Amino acid sequence: MTFTWESALAELEKRRALSRQLGGERRVQRQKDQGRLTIRERIEAMTDEFQEIGEFTTVDEVDANGNVIGKLPAGFVCGLGTVDGRTVAIGGEDFTIRGGAPQTYLDRMKGGLGGFVEDLAHEYKIPLMMFVEGIGGDVTAQEDMGHAYLVSSMSWQRSFDLLTEVPVVGMVSGAAVGGAAARAVLSHFSVMTKDSVIFAGGPPLVRRALGIDLTKEELGGARIATASGAIDNIAEDEADAIDQMKTFLSYLPQNVWELPPRTESEDPVTRRAPELLKIIPENRRQPYKVNKMIEAIVDTRSFFEIGPNWGKSVVTGLARMDGMSIGVVASNPRHLGGALDASAAEKQVRFVDMCSTFHIPILYFVDVPGFMVGPQAEKANVVRWGMRAIQSIIEAEVPIVTIQVRKAYGLAASATSNPDKLGLRLAWPTGEWGDLPIEGGVEAAYGRQIAEADDPARMRAQVEARMAELVDPWRTAEAFGVEGMIDPRETREIVAAFFNASRDAMKSQIHEPKRRWSVRP
Amino acid sequence: MSTIQSDTAGSVWKILVTEGQEVSEGDELLILESMKMEIPFEAEHDGRVEKIHVAENDLVQDGDDLVTVSE
Repeated sequence: MTFTWESALAELEKRRALSRQLGGERRVQRQKDQGRLTIRERIEAMTDEFQEIGEFTTVDEVDANGNVIGKLPAGFVCGLGTVDGRTVAIGGEDFTIRGGAPQTYLDRMKGGLGGFVEDLAHEYKIPLMMFVEGIGGDVTAQEDMGHAYLVSSMSWQRSFDLLTEVPVVGMVSGAAVGGAAARAVLSHFSVMTKDSVIFAGGPPLVRRALGIDLTKEELGGARIATASGAIDNIAEDEADAIDQMKTFLSYLPQNVWELPPRTESEDPVTRRAPELLKIIPENRRQPYKVNKMIEAIVDTRSFFEIGPNWGKSVVTGLARMDGMSIGVVASNPRHLGGALDASAAEKQVRFVDMCSTFHIPILYFVDVPGFMVGPQAEKANVVRWGMRAIQSIIEAEVPIVTIQVRKAYGLAASATSNPDKLGLRLAWPTGEWGDLPIEGGVEAAYGRQIAEADDPARMRAQVEARMAELVDPWRTAEAFGVEGMIDPRETREIVAAFFNASRDAMKSQIHEPKRRWSVRP
Repeated sequence: MSTIQSDTAGSVWKILVTEGQEVSEGDELLILESMKMEIPFEAEHDGRVEKIHVAENDLVQDGDDLVTVSE
């Protein structure tokens, strides 16, 4: 047949139309019946513009007897997108094709672990936005290849490289199992819709291996996955999830070789926060609402909490201060009195590593009575995780300003500030610190002498009073053992001044990452 | 109808309302004690106390139901 432009372009249009059909009307309808968008609708909702790559890839449609009965589009859609004016690599599994299984039938995978879309993000140094929905590996892949695949042949290098280079943001809607679950977790921020599930292996596998009968929600629903920390945030629906992904991205630079974008702040840095005197009760046994305290200080409506459902004795999130991106960490006295347990420490490590990777300075509100104690805490390995939290603070290559809100006792205080760098610690007059809180400390040091005293109660009161005088924060301020004592209402202006001053240092620190890892998933 | 759940482990120190009582948004319903802190739980909306799921001195876990308030 002789070549004509007309027939060649008609062929292109015909094939393009096939790719738009995804897995066909019946399977697309099934996706919609479950209240989910198709992968093409997800990309459309996220992007202002989208240049697709690999739209003509196909997979054989095979019946149960192994007969090829037609062709379907390959099960991953990807390309170059624009999100709020920024260029990103974007893609996701098409669940209507083989349940979003990896495209091992192609010469080059389009996405998932090590696919084209990851190379695009890596080579162009642009963020990777992922829509994860898939059943992980499937046995049909073995049939395609004609042999069993030793999974350790698969390269993870690119996926881990990306964590040191560009923002990686993922959404789970539907089910993410095995490899798909793994891909979602290898991100700087992940969000799942409240009716989605994620697990290493689904209910049938659990039933066979362990004899435990669970629904998929009981096994890996959004409440489970966000309480374990596998996924950062829950979304009401996919529109909310996409909003959260965009919000997260708005605080981050395109890659680690840039500083985060700065916005015009409409909230004057000189704004005082008199409400703090109401938010922080005078009675030190009464906790306060951490989010209210944070919101009183950062740019109005800029606080975006990450990981609210796990490691709850610290609150973490991104915010803006005078238009600059900042990371906020705050002890939460409502949970374990703010004591750092293993999961809170793990959450802090992940967050601090992320901030350091993307040159986001950290504001730490300290109110920590110590590492969590007790049998549960010890079983969860609180000491090792606590030390990792300290390590992440010591290794962080961004300025850290701490506000000493109330308590800072024991080793846990070292997880809030680095004495070898500037270690700028600003105390409110409510601040208190020491090796141990007085009540427990007096008992540990003088317990025997108090017990043997003629009037133990009187003696205890005397010793405690002596100690209380020493922990007066003004004494430490006089000794320059804390760098500042400030009126809480003026916190915003002071912190903004130091973060503004750190911009030149931050610019000078942009270099090739020293470490092969930066954010451990 | 909404049920306030504990967001921490602790013991019930004081219950400040009785079943059937009218409450307004922000009213303190009960106070837990955890790690020497007194943690208040407030009504999320105006309504009537439908059920109190705990008694004073009960130990509660993160996620346990505390008080149900009807609209």
